[in-house]
Amino acid sequence: MSFAVPTEHYLLLSAVLFCIGVAGVATKRNPIVVFMCIEIMLNAANLGFVALGRHFGDVGGQIYTMLIIAVAAGEVAIGLAIIVSLFRTRETIDLDEADLLKL
Amino acid sequence: MGAPTQAIRDLSGILPILVLWGVALVILLGAPLLRRGPGSRLAAPLGGAGALGALLVLLRGSSDGFGDTLFAGAALTDTLYSSGAFVLLLGGFLSVLVAQTYLRSRDLEKPEYYAIMLLSLSGALLMMQANDLIVLFLGLELMSFGLYVLAGFARTDAKSDEAALKYFLLGALASALMLYGIMLTYGVAASTELSNVQSAVARGALKEPMGIAAALLLVIGLCFKIAAVPFHQWSPDVYEGAPTSATAFLATTAKIGAIVAFLRVCDTIAGGYHTWLPAIRAIAILSMIVGNLIAIAQTNVKRMLAYSGVAHAGYLLVAVACMGFRLMGTKGTQASILAMTGAVFYLLAYALALIGAFGVLAYLSSRDKDAQTLNDLRGLASSQPAVGYAMVLFMLSLAGIPATAGFIGKWQVFYAVLTGGDVALAVTMALTSAMGVYYYLRVVWYIVFEESAAPKPSPTGHGVEARPRAMTGVGAAITICCIATIGLGILPAAISSFLTVVR
Repeated sequence: MSFAVPTEHYLLLSAVLFCIGVAGVATKRNPIVVFMCIEIMLNAANLGFVALGRHFGDVGGQIYTMLIIAVAAGEVAIGLAIIVSLFRTRETIDLDEADLLKL
Repeated sequence: MGAPTQAIRDLSGILPILVLWGVALVILLGAPLLRRGPGSRLAAPLGGAGALGALLVLLRGSSDGFGDTLFAGAALTDTLYSSGAFVLLLGGFLSVLVAQTYLRSRDLEKPEYYAIMLLSLSGALLMMQANDLIVLFLGLELMSFGLYVLAGFARTDAKSDEAALKYFLLGALASALMLYGIMLTYGVAASTELSNVQSAVARGALKEPMGIAAALLLVIGLCFKIAAVPFHQWSPDVYEGAPTSATAFLATTAKIGAIVAFLRVCDTIAGGYHTWLPAIRAIAILSMIVGNLIAIAQTNVKRMLAYSGVAHAGYLLVAVACMGFRLMGTKGTQASILAMTGAVFYLLAYALALIGAFGVLAYLSSRDKDAQTLNDLRGLASSQPAVGYAMVLFMLSLAGIPATAGFIGKWQVFYAVLTGGDVALAVTMALTSAMGVYYYLRVVWYIVFEESAAPKPSPTGHGVEARPRAMTGVGAAITICCIATIGLGILPAAISSFLTVVR
């Protein structure tokens, strides 16, 4: 096992993915891309759970990942449905043009 | 004890959730029959029966078995859960009553609305019952999914779609931040079960960078859900765009579920208060000031109630901050217990007044007019006195005027934070409450002293259609909210057997 990747590397990658996701949410104007960035954040957490679960020798980390994948799938279904519904009424989904409700 | 008895004990602990799931399933499976024809009258009663059934099951079950952990430590039943669940399910039942009338008058009624409401309530229950951060996350998501859909329920209305999109994107972001916080907690505590997290915190886990990041991400995620400054930008848009009945439901459900979970999480990590208490205090003070200030400028009642909701989130965060005093001597412990009881009572008073206020807006809405602005309320006291004075009462309760439930709730939280010795929070709370009175009283002014813009309803013509609606759901909801708001304002002890949190 001397060639095994140390847990810190996984956590670092996870942190990088998380930051990419946050940066994308902050800068992108297309809701589908924003949503993909949120999924990246969820997967960053997934990676962390799996790596930590291995580190602790605890199967919980992997089971949590399964639960989170199911949650993410539900989130996709609802998010895309909302985006389709918005496109049907507005014929655009750009977030800058979603301005009927003043901020 | 054998395995089957354990399983039965576990399941009976989540019986309210099972009731909600069962009724939601019946509605979903029966949807083709409930959608049109004679069956369409049954959807709302079924939804109401689901919420009320869960409430009754909860009240029956709460006499035996306190502080039990269920499902090998994944969930628990304690007094914080049972009192929070009481408030939540009562609010859910009243929201069904409001929805029944509003959806029908706006031509939006579909049986799925009630099924989604019940599922969302079950998520909030799971969140309050969670003894494990992952279960808390699952409950939060189950609650939020329903709320996103309800916000966008008027599918052909662009404003409703936009509200749903904004709520969804920011809600999903908050969930992702919180999940990352949970992952980091798992990293420092090697477990997500609250008792293990608590012992990890006692060993100093919140002094490591990873622990600090975990605590702050958890706080940020929950602050998003209760719409505290600076994570509140979604709330006015969602409140305005969502159908009024959905606004009433999501405003109360999300706040009750998230605040109870917040109390539990902060109670667990009280040992590391150096890390999170300054953040919560800052967010609470900002929310109280900013929420009340911006609410003054609003002319749309739904937006005003959204900003007032931000301020109320601030008051409730004061109670959450008291969790941090738990390990600071006997006074601090006493303050934290007082704050839990106070917060639950506050949530009850807030839910009653808010559902009542949105109920009045729903009552005034018809197929081609959605009542939202101060002008829609002009002269209500003379044109429809009963509804007008009910709205006055709800505004006074939200403002925290004595002899209403809102005052008692605010007083309990105020007393708890004074017991904890945090004068700065107490003073901010008192001053900003006084600020809030201004815009609540402006609504009262419009209702009582302004002349009605529309001509008075004549016995024949348009005025007539408003009359028979008084007997339907929303009339009942407004009546219940009125009686409870006054009753609890005068006799708060009447309900203390359900709402007292014991530690």
